[in-house]
Amino acid sequence: MRRNPYYLLFRDLLGGLLITLKTLFRKPVTVEYPRERVKVYPSFRGRHALVRDPETGDARCVACLKCVQVCPSRCIDVKYEIDEKTGARIMTQYNIEALRCIYCGYCEEVCPVGAIVLTEYFEYSVRTREEAFFDKEKLLKNWDEFIAKYTEKVYTNKFWNLKGIPDVLKPAPKRKQLEVPVKRG
Amino acid sequence: MSEKSLTTKEYIYTTEDPFFSPLTIQMGPQHPSTHGVLKLNLVLEGEKIIDLEPEIGFLHRGLEKLAESMNYAQVLPLTDRLDYISAMNNNTGYALVVERLLGIEPPPRGKYLRTMVCELARIASHLLWLATHALDIGAMTVFLYCFREREKILDFFEMICGARLTVSYPRIGGVRVDVEEKVLEEIYNFIPYMYEKIEEYEGLLSQNRIWLDRTVGVGVISAEEAIAYGLTGPSLRGSGVAYDIRKHFPYDAYPELDFEVPVGKNGDTYDRYWCRLQEMRQSLRIIKQCIEKMPDGPVCAEVSPDLDMQVFKRAFRAEAWGEKTFIAFLNEGVELVPKGELYSAVEGAKGELGFYLVSDGSGRPYRLHIRAPSYVHISALPKLSRGHMVADLVAIIGTLDIVMGECDR
Repeated sequence: MRRNPYYLLFRDLLGGLLITLKTLFRKPVTVEYPRERVKVYPSFRGRHALVRDPETGDARCVACLKCVQVCPSRCIDVKYEIDEKTGARIMTQYNIEALRCIYCGYCEEVCPVGAIVLTEYFEYSVRTREEAFFDKEKLLKNWDEFIAKYTEKVYTNKFWNLKGIPDVLKPAPKRKQLEVPVKRG
Repeated sequence: MSEKSLTTKEYIYTTEDPFFSPLTIQMGPQHPSTHGVLKLNLVLEGEKIIDLEPEIGFLHRGLEKLAESMNYAQVLPLTDRLDYISAMNNNTGYALVVERLLGIEPPPRGKYLRTMVCELARIASHLLWLATHALDIGAMTVFLYCFREREKILDFFEMICGARLTVSYPRIGGVRVDVEEKVLEEIYNFIPYMYEKIEEYEGLLSQNRIWLDRTVGVGVISAEEAIAYGLTGPSLRGSGVAYDIRKHFPYDAYPELDFEVPVGKNGDTYDRYWCRLQEMRQSLRIIKQCIEKMPDGPVCAEVSPDLDMQVFKRAFRAEAWGEKTFIAFLNEGVELVPKGELYSAVEGAKGELGFYLVSDGSGRPYRLHIRAPSYVHISALPKLSRGHMVADLVAIIGTLDIVMGECDR
């Protein structure tokens, strides 16, 4: 290549420099994080939360233990009691180790009532390990924190309303549109 | 130990310098250009590499063993962690092997969506490869440009399934959730933009004299040797063998799509670079066809197993023994899935990504072996780099496109 007379014309290097020069006049793509925010798209799999039902004011969970069964990293632990009158299960404890979670979203996909959700909130670094163990109260608090900043009227998640999946594969309550009205006040 | 000293002695007598004594140094595992935690034991004569021994296993997480304790659906998120920069291909490969075991045929829309996201992941992987490879050789600008476009592809993944790297988007029997038309439109508009950008990378590198000096004639491997070493993917195609699983053993929507397999000539670093750039163009072509031909309908087969599928069948036989005692026989002779073994492979971004599955009839794999391309490619490293300088070794590691998460599993 060095015997090529064009070698002295530096056409290859100048061609490359021309491209970088053109890029110099384009709009920068950098996002300066703490001041600017990246847009988080709906149904991003971020921090866990237990949905607070606006009617009852408590978690929606019915303690079916499907999320415990499906979790690949086994980070969910649910304890429940049985109501002696009705025979229904009442969830008493709901613990998630967020450090073990791999954010696959299987729990929110199998949950028949849309109780557990991975919210779009992603800035939750902690200083001690204990802060990353979410119990029931903390998960409900996570939901309150998230929904306070939520701008739409109705919250819904892509993994609650599985579009394009045949009805046979969905649990019965999920065959209808599943959503939470957001209270403003 | 004795074996090693023997080889060293041999080199002492074969080199011309009578005062030669080999210098042994360790490169890695914390080295910026070994792409992860690869350790190389080098035997040097001056700056020339006369022998090399890769040491792997620093990122071993026991994925294959872990898979034996989970049901078929739960293993799928684990495969994200193999080749973590093109997770869609791993997911599809795993979903495909279970589909072939269970005899499930995904609906056409599911197939097309899976093909589309696989090709997007291939572009993302090749962009990261080009970025780091160019950075290793000394072209900083390409690194920044490639990450700019990769960010866009990761944004598409976030829109599609809510995660950027560890996607877990495919599912046994299709995909987990449908893609909105708006997102498909955005991906369609991205295609001409990306063509333009590939032109830019070529303009920066293909004719550049420094790039040519560093890549042409470095790490040459002939076609016969490449086949003997088991290289696959762009590393094999750079040597002139047109072997592509998408063409030879087509899966998903690939038989209905029109694309070419770019093939190199000399089998050196430059040809492998050229192959990968052409492959990105072909991937864009596939994505375009996918979106144009996208059929309507469900995205997942009705017979696909639930995510919380059973590991054992609940039905059991109970036998009375005496008056009050029962003995229950759980799972006696009941097959949840067909018994058998099978191997199925997909064309990952690095090469042939194969899954060998042994099923014993229960809901969890009895054994899952992963044939990872990076693992095989590392074995060809001594052959490629013998006789080169240490600085060229960096280019050779880059050109093989190694991901240690896949190699060590």
